[in-house]
Amino acid sequence: MRPGSLGKMQKFRDLCLFLAACIMLSPLCLRADDGALKKAVFLPQWVPQAQFAGYYTAYAKGIYRKHGIDLTIVPGGADRPVSRYLETGQATFITAWLSSALQMRDKGIRLVNIGQVVQRSALMLVAKKSSGIEKPRDLEGRKVGLWGGDFEIQPKAFFEREGLHVKPVRQSFSVNLFLRGGVDAASAMWYNEYHAIINAGINPEELTTFSFADLGLNFPEDGIYTLEETRRRDPELARAFVMASLEGWLYAFSHPKEAVDIVLKYAAEAKVPANRAHQNWMLARMKELIVPSKEEAAGLGSLKQSDYALVARELKELKLIRNIPDFREFYRGSATDAQK
Amino acid sequence: MKVETKKENEVTVATVIGRMDALTTSEVERTLMSLLDQGEMKLLIDLDGLDYISSAGLRTLLATAKRMKQRSGIMAFANLKGHAKEVFEISGFYSLFTVYDSVESALEQLGR
Amino acid sequence: MLRNRGIVFKLIALVVTAGGFIFLCVFGYSYFFSRRTIEENINESARNLAQATVGRIEASLRSVQKIPLNDRYFVESTPLDPAALHDLLFNVLESNADICGAAIAFEPGKRQNVRGFAPYVYRSEWTIAFTELASERIDYTLADWYQIPRELSGPEWSEPYYGEGQDRTLKSTYSVPFYMTAKGQKRLAGVIAVDISLKRLQAIVSSVKVLQTGYAFLISQNGTVVTHPRSELIMNATIFGMAEEAGDTSLRELGRRMIKGESGLVPLGPGPLGSASLMYYAPIPSNNWSLAVVFPVAELMADVRRFSMIAFILAVAGLAALSGAVVIIAHSITRPLRTMAQAAGHIAEGNFDTPLPVSLSGDEVGVMTKAFEDMRISLKDYIERLTETTAAKQAIESELKVAREIQMSIIPKTFPSFPAGTGVDMDAWIEPARDVGGDFYDFFFLDRSRLCVVIADVSDKGVPASLFMAVTKTLIKAKAAPGKAPGDVLTTVNNELATDSGTNMFVTVFFAVLDIKTGELLYANGGHNPPILIRSQGKAMPIEKTGNPVVGVIEGIEYGSKGLTLYPGDMLLLFTDGVTEAVNLRGELFGDERLLKELSAAADPSPSGRIEAVRQALARYSEGAPQADDITILAVRYEGPLMEREG
Repeated sequence: MRPGSLGKMQKFRDLCLFLAACIMLSPLCLRADDGALKKAVFLPQWVPQAQFAGYYTAYAKGIYRKHGIDLTIVPGGADRPVSRYLETGQATFITAWLSSALQMRDKGIRLVNIGQVVQRSALMLVAKKSSGIEKPRDLEGRKVGLWGGDFEIQPKAFFEREGLHVKPVRQSFSVNLFLRGGVDAASAMWYNEYHAIINAGINPEELTTFSFADLGLNFPEDGIYTLEETRRRDPELARAFVMASLEGWLYAFSHPKEAVDIVLKYAAEAKVPANRAHQNWMLARMKELIVPSKEEAAGLGSLKQSDYALVARELKELKLIRNIPDFREFYRGSATDAQK
Repeated sequence: MKVETKKENEVTVATVIGRMDALTTSEVERTLMSLLDQGEMKLLIDLDGLDYISSAGLRTLLATAKRMKQRSGIMAFANLKGHAKEVFEISGFYSLFTVYDSVESALEQLGR
Repeated sequence: MLRNRGIVFKLIALVVTAGGFIFLCVFGYSYFFSRRTIEENINESARNLAQATVGRIEASLRSVQKIPLNDRYFVESTPLDPAALHDLLFNVLESNADICGAAIAFEPGKRQNVRGFAPYVYRSEWTIAFTELASERIDYTLADWYQIPRELSGPEWSEPYYGEGQDRTLKSTYSVPFYMTAKGQKRLAGVIAVDISLKRLQAIVSSVKVLQTGYAFLISQNGTVVTHPRSELIMNATIFGMAEEAGDTSLRELGRRMIKGESGLVPLGPGPLGSASLMYYAPIPSNNWSLAVVFPVAELMADVRRFSMIAFILAVAGLAALSGAVVIIAHSITRPLRTMAQAAGHIAEGNFDTPLPVSLSGDEVGVMTKAFEDMRISLKDYIERLTETTAAKQAIESELKVAREIQMSIIPKTFPSFPAGTGVDMDAWIEPARDVGGDFYDFFFLDRSRLCVVIADVSDKGVPASLFMAVTKTLIKAKAAPGKAPGDVLTTVNNELATDSGTNMFVTVFFAVLDIKTGELLYANGGHNPPILIRSQGKAMPIEKTGNPVVGVIEGIEYGSKGLTLYPGDMLLLFTDGVTEAVNLRGELFGDERLLKELSAAADPSPSGRIEAVRQALARYSEGAPQADDITILAVRYEGPLMEREG
């Protein structure tokens, strides 16, 4: 799956400075007597693609090693649900959407968020202007493709709020149904399906988009999670992993060609079809989602309580979770948040 | 310079108009001589239009008069005036030739 | 600059320019015309080729489409059990070698399984295998091949894809929805799908050959490259992705037109699809894919270019040869011309014997050479004759000069001199109109005390008059004798001259004898203008006429004599009518009055003074008009009685 978060663009310099400070501090955080690298397994929530460029780049450039982690990355996919791997301990760290993680925790998996990577939701609805859809009202009575699961939460909340009655159609991972006109509006990730649509010959000006991040439903997406227990046993490892991962992301943003080369390599290894143009687009969008505006530069990797509350509330409303966990228990973020 | 000729009774009247000098006199001579060749026996030269006469012109008149005399013809002059008269007087031609006052009186005399 | 260059240069410049211009026009026209023809042919061929290929692809697709469409009716109308379905599917595969899989997928909830029921038959190795698509893992109702026909309520060709596992065949699925009518409502019952191998399509498209480097390729409805000579592009590139990577918006536009189902001929610049070429694209109606045939421009135009290159070389060679010919012909003209110019230069220097080149040709140059030669010979003769004539003339002129000298020498120039206050003071001025004249004056002493003065004017000018004048002068001097009256002298002279005169010439004569002891003057005048007597007080008047005619006309004339007395200081001025009949530019005569006036007014009363005054007056009066008659003046002033004559 491809959840993510949308954010505003940010000047690298500030982030690099910030990160430089973290890097300088991080060696102090490692235990002095720990000459050996700590082993860990990481499972992203979907197949190798630029959505996870930061992690793969960090791995390929030896950043995890530098932070004292001997990391193994397991390629994700439909047949590797992150919840199961985390639960059974097959994965030390996973990525997941905030909404998924909350539901997982509600179901009993005691996980904690140690770094909120994607700040801005990339989920959107896309419609062809030629089908007469230009504003939310036009969706009334139309066929709308929905992915189900966590991908339905924002749309459904949206329809509810706008008082729209649509004909939901279950949408697969292809955009062909939309392209052929089988649905009037389709669910899409800004960094993925949107580009696939463009890449099939439709021009941006021919599309109407409804981005949930701009519609008051900005659910943060990809975050790094680990079991509460794992974190308690070795908080340094957790923090190191997040630091290294963020460092990997920043490197990827400043060396996009190299990052895409790395991603393509791992995609090929996992026999996942990928083309450069699509990955370039995806990486560029991830940059917007992960590195918010200059104002939010300091908040790289941190989960805002307001965002958390927004998601949790919605989930509770839809009865997807019974209780809203305490924010401070749920989120065990990086050094900028005074958490320990 | 030109010579106009007309016949009055048996008299040929030749009127000379212009100058008789070395340049023009040969033409006058030719005209007068041809009249003689045609058999004219009475010739009257009207000098009314004669502006000037040089010694060459006098020679022409003299030659014509001599030829006329040889043939036993008569040659006379009329309307002698001005410069020509002076020349005729000084050169004595006035007494050599017969000079009448006017064409009419000349014709009257020559007609007999 | 062009003006001073030689003929050869001008000709060559003209020939090359004109020839070059003509060639350019012809060449340019034929080049563009043949290009245009080729382009039109390409358009035609491209369309035909593409349509033919599209036709073949269509035939292939339609033969496949038939099957599920037929089976649909069968399935819709007949309630079927799994075995029957199984057989049906086997037949499908057996009937068409291109079909590598077939399924009849039912809407879940219709049959046994909630998850669905979708028997699927497929080729595996050399046999036909069977499986059930419905499983926990895969929800076939979410597959494009199921969902799209369902939502669109119509048959649909899928995007191309690779078969699973080791099967790397490129496939596409044609799926057709079928319906059941229950309780008067038509509902979707399921989807029949057949997978076909795209091998045949790929073969058809690959077989399209255009010249050496032309080819065809196929893109899917999403712009994915289905088949292309560059196999690395197949399934890995979409036309839009390629355009995005190359930053080529026109390529993207082209892709959009193609998937919209348009057809046309477009030029393609060098880019992701190859080198510069012309591309004809047309849609495949059955599945909305698009076929493109690429015509490499370079190859197409290669013939035209080669032709142009050869034509150009030929033209250049031709012009060069033409120039060479022009040079040869031009030289055949300019060489003789140059020789003639040189010869003309020699002739101009006076060398008439310069030989001219013999021209044997009958053309204009030969004609001109002959004409030039003729001219040279004529010139030579003419110059020779002219030279002779001029020499003769110069001989005559020199003889005339001698004659003048002789004539002048017989007229006395040395005037007698006397003691002061006695005798006479004389001066004279004689100016013939031509080299030799007819006027003369003379003076001589008869005896000690008697001076004769003569002035005469022969009735002519030039050589005849000068001869007559010489005769007259001699006669007068011969006949004059002391005691003989001047009139008698003239009478004698007249009789002599009149007898001999066959030329009708006459002479006017004034003959006078002055007794220097007494001042008595006796004179005779034969038709001459009377001299002017200027008394010592200054009064001037002509002396009395005698009335005698000119001398030499008629015999027997008695010339009279007249006389007058000169007192000391009195001057007698003898002159000929050349003075009084001198003309100005208006033809007016100087006249006697003017002469009298000038003589009276002369500042210097001496003979030379008075003559000088008249001479100046004449010069002023004539205003440059040519002298018409001989001018002669003799001035004699009686100074006083002579006692004894000197010398």
